[in-house]
Amino acid sequence: MSGIANRTVGGPSGEWRFPTAFGWRGVLVAIVAFLILFRTGADVEIGRALLQSGKGIAAGAGLAEDSQVARGFGAILGRMFPPQLAEVTETGRIAGFDRDRLPWFAHVEMQTVTVQSLDPETMRMVASTTQREVLVEPFGYLRQVVAKLVETLEIALWGTLLAVLIGAPLAFFGARNLSPHPLLVALSRGMVSLLRAIPELISALFFVLAYGFGPAAGVLALALHAAGFLGKFYAEDIENADPGPQEALRAIGANRLKLLRYAILPQVLPQYVAYTLYILDRNVRMATVIGLVGAGGIGLELKGRYDLYQYAHVGTILIAIFILVFALDQLSSWFRRRLI
Amino acid sequence: MSLRFEHVGKRYPDGTIALGDVSFEVPPGQFCVILGRSGAGKSTLLRCVNGLASPSSGRVVVDGVEVTPATLRQLRPRIGMIHQSFNLVPRASVAANVIAGALPAVSTGRALLGLFPRALRDKACALIADVGLGQEHLPRRVAALSGGQQQRVGIARAFMLDPAYVLADEPVASLDPQTSADILTLIRREAKERGAAVLCSLHQIDLTMRFADRVLALRDGRIVFDGAPDALAQSRLGRIYDASWPEPCPLPEAVGA
Ligand SMILES: Nc1ncnc2c1ncn2[C@@H]1O[C@H](COP(=O)(O)OP(=O)(O)OP(=O)(O)O)[C@@H](O)[C@H]1O
Ligand SMILES: [Mg+2]
Repeated sequence: MSGIANRTVGGPSGEWRFPTAFGWRGVLVAIVAFLILFRTGADVEIGRALLQSGKGIAAGAGLAEDSQVARGFGAILGRMFPPQLAEVTETGRIAGFDRDRLPWFAHVEMQTVTVQSLDPETMRMVASTTQREVLVEPFGYLRQVVAKLVETLEIALWGTLLAVLIGAPLAFFGARNLSPHPLLVALSRGMVSLLRAIPELISALFFVLAYGFGPAAGVLALALHAAGFLGKFYAEDIENADPGPQEALRAIGANRLKLLRYAILPQVLPQYVAYTLYILDRNVRMATVIGLVGAGGIGLELKGRYDLYQYAHVGTILIAIFILVFALDQLSSWFRRRLI
Repeated sequence: MSLRFEHVGKRYPDGTIALGDVSFEVPPGQFCVILGRSGAGKSTLLRCVNGLASPSSGRVVVDGVEVTPATLRQLRPRIGMIHQSFNLVPRASVAANVIAGALPAVSTGRALLGLFPRALRDKACALIADVGLGQEHLPRRVAALSGGQQQRVGIARAFMLDPAYVLADEPVASLDPQTSADILTLIRREAKERGAAVLCSLHQIDLTMRFADRVLALRDGRIVFDGAPDALAQSRLGRIYDASWPEPCPLPEAVGA
């Protein structure tokens, strides 16, 4: 009772200083951060981006008359809708066309087309109408997009699989607590940084040159970049794993691989699954992009249609990609919940 | 066939002298308790036996073989270890944790695939039953067990390879008195059945009196008592635990081996 009172009186109040939340160092950091933001913000025109976005939103809400951004988006969206589902092909251009064995849902139709041609006598353009026979497949284009989408998914899947196969050994040799030699640690880490430093789109350019157009180049490009990512994160988890179980197994003479399998993997597995699912997710999105440089997948189709101003086709592709990414997201979060 | 410390000294890289000239010999089957205040060097002494720490002077000889990096591969599977914080994998099952104690006995390939021979799997089951856990515990995650149950799993793991020596570093430090007694009973029984010698560090005098065949007391890295628990009279305890006691002077009982 009196002890408590005594302690308060004889305590170090006055001599001790309780650490404050903000010191001069914090203020300094804040000033420097502000200067950096100010300078870099000017470089990337952040002001213009915000201003135009604001105007665009205002225009969209009917508050402002006109906005460049709103007009641009409006024009593209207007042309993308409705999305293109059907495919119409002139029967004459279909090799071995057999009108008794049409594809499902398809029908043959006569179309009247207006053709502009030059009259050789008057040297004027005249419009003439001709009839031509076409094959209409109501979901023909959708089918093409889905096929391309499946290819995209396959590229992403294999890119992820190879990334795991390359990343796992890099992690083993790159983790200080497991690696047989410090030199191997440095080597693996260098390798991992290098792989991560090369964006997929860039390496895809080179792989297309080396392996030719097609999904093989895409798979390799995705795999190498992701291997760099996985190699780094797998290794960090190995190093941060609880050393207790490792010591227990080392004490009875288990080698490194057995340690990895029995003392470390069970600890880090949920994290590993999370990383790998993230990579799969990322690879699906990247696989839609690398098609732009000819490395397979739906990107090539997207770019082709875009360059031909066929925005309805572009619309179909974008919606399809969105549905794919969304579905995959749901699937992976369901999987993660089940595992952990 | 014995475990022998010959003038073992241990100095950590930061200059801490954890052990200074420690000598003793443990015959097969003896339950030897190591007493000493926190920081006296108990853990260091135990870790010198299986190479988790290496002596900076002197040597440790196990069954006639000196403990060196080259002989560890051969020696370690014969030395089981039970840890204060259990050192189990919480997310792994009881079965997986116990059978991991047999890892040195299977090839790396089989171990990676998880293909343990029938005999080892049966042995794991038998040990899990021995330490008082039921069949329903086999697939259960260790994280879901109580501290006492976890240490039972640790004991089962330590005996998987029928070790000739078992090191137990404060195996009951985080358990209640009753559970502590149960756990020590278990370690002693399993060891006696196999004729294994136990080196066990403890903080509880009463448990020491109950379970030890022999007591080694450390103070500041030196042995200040070596004898039967009965000989450890109250007056002697002061030498081990009283911080105000001057330099530890070797007692008559503290003859090197
Ligand atoms: N890895 C290490 N590096 C440096 N010093 C260490 C290391 N491990 C232990 N020590 C020091 O060696 C001395 C003996 O430590 P040790 O862990 O063997 O004591 P202990 O008797 O097991 O204590 P406790 O009862 O607290 O477990 C202590 O002074 C400790 O600080
Ligand atoms: Mg200790």
